[in-house]
Amino acid sequence: MFLQLLLSGIAFGSLYALIALAMVIIYKTSEVPNFGQGEMAMLSTFVAFMLLDTYGHSFFVSFLGALVFAALLGVFLEFVFLRRAKDPNILSLILITLGFEMILYGVASWKWGADQRDLSFPVSDFDLVNIGPAVISYLNLATLLVALVLMVLLFLFFRYTKVGIAMKATQQNPMAARINGIRVNRILSVTWAMSSTIGAMAGMLLAPVATLDPNLMLEPLLKGFASAVLGGMTTLVGAALGGYMLGIIENLFGGYVSLEFKSIVAFGIIVLVLCFRPSGLFAKHYVRKV
Amino acid sequence: MKRYSLMVLCVMVLLLGAAPLVCAERGVTDTEIRIGQWGPQTGPAALWGAVARGTGCYFDMINDEGGIHGRKITYYLRDDGYMPPRTKAIAKELLEDKQVFAFASGVGTAPGMAVKKYLETNKVPWVGPATGSSHWGYPPTRYLFADYPLYIDEAAILVNYAVKTMGKKRIAFFYQNDDYGKEGLAGAEYALEKLGMKLVAAVSAEPLDTDLSSHCMKLKAAEPDVVIMWVLPKHGAIILGTAAKLGFKPQWMTTSTLSDTDIMYKITKGLFKDVIYTSFGELIDSPHPLMLKYKKAQEKFAAQDRWGIFFYAGFLFAEPMVEAIKKAGRNLTAETFVDAMETLKDFQGIGPKLTYGPGQRQGARSSFLAKVTEGGKPVKVMDWMESDVDLKAVLKKLGRL
Repeated sequence: MFLQLLLSGIAFGSLYALIALAMVIIYKTSEVPNFGQGEMAMLSTFVAFMLLDTYGHSFFVSFLGALVFAALLGVFLEFVFLRRAKDPNILSLILITLGFEMILYGVASWKWGADQRDLSFPVSDFDLVNIGPAVISYLNLATLLVALVLMVLLFLFFRYTKVGIAMKATQQNPMAARINGIRVNRILSVTWAMSSTIGAMAGMLLAPVATLDPNLMLEPLLKGFASAVLGGMTTLVGAALGGYMLGIIENLFGGYVSLEFKSIVAFGIIVLVLCFRPSGLFAKHYVRKV
Repeated sequence: MKRYSLMVLCVMVLLLGAAPLVCAERGVTDTEIRIGQWGPQTGPAALWGAVARGTGCYFDMINDEGGIHGRKITYYLRDDGYMPPRTKAIAKELLEDKQVFAFASGVGTAPGMAVKKYLETNKVPWVGPATGSSHWGYPPTRYLFADYPLYIDEAAILVNYAVKTMGKKRIAFFYQNDDYGKEGLAGAEYALEKLGMKLVAAVSAEPLDTDLSSHCMKLKAAEPDVVIMWVLPKHGAIILGTAAKLGFKPQWMTTSTLSDTDIMYKITKGLFKDVIYTSFGELIDSPHPLMLKYKKAQEKFAAQDRWGIFFYAGFLFAEPMVEAIKKAGRNLTAETFVDAMETLKDFQGIGPKLTYGPGQRQGARSSFLAKVTEGGKPVKVMDWMESDVDLKAVLKKLGRL
């Protein structure tokens, strides 16, 4: 039982990790937690569903199509809404992302209705690998793999590529970054595109398990956010680890302590972390000097 | 003196003129009857919003046949998105502005509960809330009539079938942690107690949960041979998937809420096969003459809608209302309507037999059972069956009496 709870925790944890990564990328450059993230991912997943089911494209084409859509959606939202905000402070930007959340939710409900859909995924959730007395499905393994690979790629990207370093610079001091010749606006667009694409991957990996409807990401987004807070909103690796930790803690708590309170563990964790380690477990705590 | 009598005359004429206004029944004229309904057309519960569109189609059909006693039904459908505050606004708007005579059906326990008192105080007839909650009929109120089988009864019927017909011994219950789930749980517990048995596990989920692995493991650890689930369609799909993965294969049973077998089969990738569920109405391909007639109406008036259980449930829930309007005759008022409703005995359309009377507002106490076969096609495994639950005992246990 313990091993199975652990494995199930890791399986769901990878999803939380992906969402946390998507959130952290935007947070790292603009210090805005994007609450529209979940709905952006949900909409992109619906696009994959539409290409696959309504237009009969192959899975590969649909998957790529949805990723491209996700990237464009990210750029579009950043360009059309966030960039237009006058004298934006963080609070108003957060409110704009909450606005997206509602608009996108409305669009999906209007276009696809609330019927539950089945996104056919080439990797099965029922083909299993036995690990001792416990099992894990191919789909879980795929999710785990995607999350790990992305984590490494992103780490390398931020550490070694020019764009990545420019992104970090933009977050630390947009004005200085601009003076040094970084096109801050373009950097922001790229961040949104990346984040939205990663979110879309999480959506497409989740949909085969949880069924696809406009509510797909409501709860996972909150959990992803909690993971990011747990691990640290400014560290990619930390946020992803936060995802795994949350997945495992939740499952063990549900298995051994109380199922009724399982779903609020995440929020308890947010409160505790904010009280004792506001920057997260894995982030360097820094105080911004005035 | 002359001036006085003139004034008296004037007042009398005015009063006479005003009299028809005072006496005229709200929402009923010589040529029309106004009926309203709320139902989620958007948001998380929109799957069930088809009920409200089904009722609209039903009224279109009746109007097309010439209406009832020379009156046509004007139907107002409003989207509340399953949000009780919006339901309240809708009830007020339709009642005070559109002056509806009555409300038909309406999806959701929480939205319905939000307006129950308001409608009762204003003496508005309301027939067939589309949920199996026991709140509609207990305690009974004069203007509200329920025609959906109670969740309590459904669960008891399932338990009896599992134990008596299938010979199952270990029954577990998986439910949503709210009124809906708890009423199902209470029904199952009651029926088992009567059989001298107990649930081997009762596991609850919160509506927003996505990861049900630990729930599933708890159920599996109890080694049940039957699991009855009282959850959202989405959770039904997730728990079946998780169970299949863990090699956990009990007989699954569920409530009428998950009876859209077409969708359930699709989203569970076929795992919904062999699930046994309670149904409040004829099966989708039933040759019942009314079903054939309703299907034609759907093709004519609502071709864009899918012919699914929740769509024709919109017909089903409004059937007794139409029957009572017919019985009340030309002189249709809230009072004559209620009196006519109370005369319905064993009235049956495409749903369960309905019986009302003074102080009896829960018309339906029976369900039948169906089993899902290959491709999501349901077949009847047990015909309409009256529940033998002593509701007083169960409601007492739920803290309602």
